[in-house]
Amino acid sequence: MPEPKAEKIEPVAAGASLEKWEPRIIAFLCYWCSYAGADAAGTLRLKYPHNVLIVRVMCSGRVDPELISGAFAQGADGVLVCGCQIGCCHYISGNHKTMARMPLLGRLLVEMGLEPGRFRHEWVSASEGEKFARITNEITEEVRRLGPLNWPGRLHARGVGHGEDLEPWGTPQ
Amino acid sequence: MSPLNTGGPVNGPPGGDGIRTGVFVCCCGGNISDIVDVEYVAREVGRRPGVACALVHTFICSDPGQALIEQKIAELKLNRVVLAACSPTLHQLTFRRAVSRAGLNPFLFEHVNVREQVSWVTEDLHGATQKATRLVAAAVARTRNLVPLEKRRIPIRPSALVIGGGVAGLVAARDLARRGTKVTLVESRPFLGGRMAQLHTLFPTGEEAREVLRRLMQAVVRDPLVTTFTNATILESRGVVGSFRTRIRIAPRGVNKQLNFAGSAIAACPEETVSEFDYGLGRRKAIYFAYPGCWPPMPAIDWNACTRCGRCVSAGGGKGIELDGKPYEIEVPSGVIVLATGFDPYEPLHGEYGYRIFPKVVTLQQLVRLLDPEGPTAGRLPGSGNGPLRVGFIHCVGARQWEGVHQQQADGKVNDYCARTCCTAALHAALRIRELYPDARIASFYQDIRTYGRGHEAYYERASEAGVLFIRYDAKKPPRVRLDPRGEAPLVVQAGDLLTGGRPLEVPCDLVVLATGVVPHNVSELVDMYRCAVGSDRFLLEVHPKLRPVELAVAGVFLAGTCQGPMNVTETAAAASAAASKAAAMITQGHVEMDPIIAKVDDDLCTGCRTCLAVCPYDAISRDPARKRTIVNEALCAGCGTCAAACPSDAIQQFGFTDAQVRSELAVLLEGAGAGAAVGSEAGNA
Repeated sequence: MPEPKAEKIEPVAAGASLEKWEPRIIAFLCYWCSYAGADAAGTLRLKYPHNVLIVRVMCSGRVDPELISGAFAQGADGVLVCGCQIGCCHYISGNHKTMARMPLLGRLLVEMGLEPGRFRHEWVSASEGEKFARITNEITEEVRRLGPLNWPGRLHARGVGHGEDLEPWGTPQ
Repeated sequence: MSPLNTGGPVNGPPGGDGIRTGVFVCCCGGNISDIVDVEYVAREVGRRPGVACALVHTFICSDPGQALIEQKIAELKLNRVVLAACSPTLHQLTFRRAVSRAGLNPFLFEHVNVREQVSWVTEDLHGATQKATRLVAAAVARTRNLVPLEKRRIPIRPSALVIGGGVAGLVAARDLARRGTKVTLVESRPFLGGRMAQLHTLFPTGEEAREVLRRLMQAVVRDPLVTTFTNATILESRGVVGSFRTRIRIAPRGVNKQLNFAGSAIAACPEETVSEFDYGLGRRKAIYFAYPGCWPPMPAIDWNACTRCGRCVSAGGGKGIELDGKPYEIEVPSGVIVLATGFDPYEPLHGEYGYRIFPKVVTLQQLVRLLDPEGPTAGRLPGSGNGPLRVGFIHCVGARQWEGVHQQQADGKVNDYCARTCCTAALHAALRIRELYPDARIASFYQDIRTYGRGHEAYYERASEAGVLFIRYDAKKPPRVRLDPRGEAPLVVQAGDLLTGGRPLEVPCDLVVLATGVVPHNVSELVDMYRCAVGSDRFLLEVHPKLRPVELAVAGVFLAGTCQGPMNVTETAAAASAAASKAAAMITQGHVEMDPIIAKVDDDLCTGCRTCLAVCPYDAISRDPARKRTIVNEALCAGCGTCAAACPSDAIQQFGFTDAQVRSELAVLLEGAGAGAAVGSEAGNA
């Protein structure tokens, strides 16, 4: 089955100031491996862009696909999900579920008009600080190249779903 | 309705207003504040709803820092605490305790990592400050949805399962039994003793290894609290700390206590096979004793070599030998588990330093067997021919390897760690050779000599005084073993002498000894079963090398000895005693406290679809057929939250990571994001 192609949409929303724009990327990290891997990157004083905002979960298996689509809907320009290496899950096989869910979600997001480079799913062990820094650098560069996502705006323009409701979970505090 | 229910507004407080959050930002003595403008973070976050105070402290983990938190909780009647400091893996517990001391539930505390994940990973002061502000503000929003949680108390069964019957397992079993704990000791081989039995004398005392081991085994097997099983394989382990249930398969030994004439039975056996005890240098019968004085004091049958001819049965007196034995299974309940699965000597690759190409290239372990008076050659080295014996030792074989210099191991890695034991062991063996062959000429090719332990340096001194020639080679240009082109000696070792600027040397040798390192014994099945953390060196990984050095991340499972890293016998015994005392402390306490981060099903929302049953890695979820709802077994739930992600009706919530909590965190992290949002538009600092 061929990979679905991303819909070509003008990446920059009207009125946006691209010069000042900084991508906002959410990284869901499992506590036992990937979060420790991110710590390792810090301990090694490796540098990666400040655009990556880390959300800690106990296991990558906790990352409900709805949280990812929700993050995009709320304005994230990219989402990264990191779990333990297969075989090293602190919760035996939590990451096996991640392994099943994420590729499926990735295809779905592409179907929904998202460029594939905005969503990434990787295995990072507690000792792989360098890998974490590399991945975050790569995804930031990729998202920067793609430009702002503005998914709510895109959906709105297409009249898809609750395109009119730009706050999917009610009003933020 | 449960407080976890997602029905209410996700960004609002769970039980109405009255949230009073205290925010503390740590400078970490400049580690954070040199990059992050901590004052700005405190000022910005201080404006968020519900924040009662936002303070900066130089070292919040210090006693005065913790006292400040406690004081503010009392003074301002804080009911939420957010702390921006180092990684929660380091100090989350410290601050949960501080919060508890002030009378606040420790799970109303949120730890934000602004050091390892902010100040240490960027040099962009403005970006770092923005990132830290967002993370802290998101934590403030998240804490609004936190609810008080109580730790779970799980009772501990006062018994232990020790896996591995080498010196580590024996010491752990003995120490546990001495504290009155019932111990089940299981060994996969037919005899106890492990690798220590294969040694001759021990450094630094020079005692006979098997004599020390015999005393230890006697102490263990005579203890009525210890039950020992050999030929045992762990099939399955279920349960959690306090109530493990381990299914073990016991393979038939073929011999029981009724055997009267073990010696005659062994002599009568016509089948011979390679002795793994002598590292392939000697041969043994199919019915055999591994070593003199071994335990159990009866031979075992090697079923791979036995043809069931029956000659041993008649020679042995007609009884005590069962050639038709069947394996059986036992189930061992235990409160704690000690892993003492040990190591294997590094097996050089084919052709590594001529190993397996030249018969006169042996490993250090093989040399120890050759020098053992009870070994395959009764303590004599293979014929030295005319003239004095020439022996070359090559250190760091299978240890301290370099990527790109040394051939990769089967898993694609090189063994970059120091195997620690081989320097002293090689010098110990070299001195033994000098004792037996006073005119022997010994050359030692080394990277560094690491005789680090008490009394170890004396071996180095004595070897130097005895005229052992030390040749330092460049770690990236290891020596090479060749046939002697001049035919003077069987072999020649070629190396560059680093201390004379890499001058090439050729040392003729009758025997080349590879001072091989150690690799962990392959326990991949146990690793899967107990979900052990494994280091990049393949050894099992403790929770923390200093604070919790003998515990696995899995509660109730302890590490004893060389399954954790290279150790000599002294260190192994110390590590095993440590593991035993940690295990005993847990048993003495009678119960263990577990994090309350577990899953809970909301009956009102559960449709009984059973999606969660399929994803739970712990089989902790079951279905109540009467109510047509699923329930989570709190003792089994480890709190991964996989079910919460899978539940199609959001009926399962993970305490501490509810949808409301994660979503409120995301909402703040993404505040102002979207089309054309510029970081710079929000704040003017830098």
